[in-house]
Amino acid sequence: MREKATDAQVQNVIAKLMEMGFDVHRSTGALRTVLGAVGGTRQFDTALLEVLDGVQEVHRITEPYKLASRSFKSENTVITIGDLRIGGDEVIVMAGPCSAESEAQVEASAAAVKRAGAKVLRGGAFKPRSSPYSFQGLGEEGLRLLKAAADRHNLKLITEVMDISQLDLIERYADILQVGARNMQNFTLLRELGRSKTPVMLKRGISATIEEWLLSAEYILAGGNTNVMLCERGIRTFESYTRNTLDISAIPVVQQLSHLPVLVDPSHGTGKRDKVAPMARAAVAGGCDGLLIEVHCDPDHALSDGAQSMFPAQFDRLMAELRIIAPAIGRSICLEPVARRGWSAGRMPSGEC
Amino acid sequence: MRGDIDDLRRRIDMLDEHLVRLLNARAACALEVGRLKRELGVPIYQPDREAEVLNNVQQWNTGPLDHAAIKRLFERVIDEARHLERIADEVELHKPPTTNE
Repeated sequence: MREKATDAQVQNVIAKLMEMGFDVHRSTGALRTVLGAVGGTRQFDTALLEVLDGVQEVHRITEPYKLASRSFKSENTVITIGDLRIGGDEVIVMAGPCSAESEAQVEASAAAVKRAGAKVLRGGAFKPRSSPYSFQGLGEEGLRLLKAAADRHNLKLITEVMDISQLDLIERYADILQVGARNMQNFTLLRELGRSKTPVMLKRGISATIEEWLLSAEYILAGGNTNVMLCERGIRTFESYTRNTLDISAIPVVQQLSHLPVLVDPSHGTGKRDKVAPMARAAVAGGCDGLLIEVHCDPDHALSDGAQSMFPAQFDRLMAELRIIAPAIGRSICLEPVARRGWSAGRMPSGEC
Repeated sequence: MRGDIDDLRRRIDMLDEHLVRLLNARAACALEVGRLKRELGVPIYQPDREAEVLNNVQQWNTGPLDHAAIKRLFERVIDEARHLERIADEVELHKPPTTNE
């Protein structure tokens, strides 16, 4: 309460808090009164209290989300998809092109990321582009190509769902549904995903606070879909050199607040190819549960996001580095590296595929 | 010296036992008031009565606790009484207390 708050004002706030179902602890200090509200409901708007006469400030101690919170479920959520476990000891790498462009491109990308040790193929068939004139994706044909390539290389498939109308179709192909940053607060889509059984990866919105991000996850969890993972992909700050500022600190923060797996997308996080590897290394060292990385066999001619896509050889070098970093913090990465056809790190020239 | 502290601590333990008994006797009254308020349809929160209680205890106060300290202590007593009055219908008398709220 404010320094000069009257007894009547304090009493009015106590009455309001009790009406909201709280038990009130009143402490009168030399200068001001502090009211502690205990119990009651999680769903309330602190602004309702801030506007009352005599109130100086309102601090929320508990999180406004429940199912997503660590206090609701203390042990880490591990999402199992076949033999894949996301949120366990192993750091799961998901890689592939930004969009599916052609059968040859998808196949080459899948082969390259599998060789390097990725477990999940990423790729878009419906692309949310900033400009309506940019390449919009291949649609169902793209899904078919991605799924076929993933199956051939024993990879799981993650792809973005942009709209409720695409959900039935995409669910038939994808192992993980990605909600993009622009859709993080598309609450009708989130509600629909809550009814789905397919795991969901929820990207952080471009200007979303961690609380807003977890509240969005709560929408999916509240619908009954408990297989939700989060993905930090950079937020908008005053810095303009990189496309976004990758918030590495979100990893430990979210891990403290929530039991859900946290992944990092250093490709969108920086928007520049040469910044992807350092940020991926930092993310693994920071304790992330997985990475989402764009890899393109011919990035310079990619139809979308070429500048942030890694060459296969760069990706392979990165994976080798991550295998050294992960054990330092008690994690593993790609338990069974695949060395097909005698290929090994460094031997493949960039652009071979 | 050591013996003095032990004696004082024994005295504190004895006083605490009295305090617990008195606080529970007060709480039992609060529970009954809560039930009656509900029956009569009167709001649980009665700020005037709370002010009166705080005024009373400060008037009876002879120290060494100062008035502000007595007020702070009784604010906590009142907080708990208000809670008990609110849940009066759910509380069964003569049942051992539980550890959690």
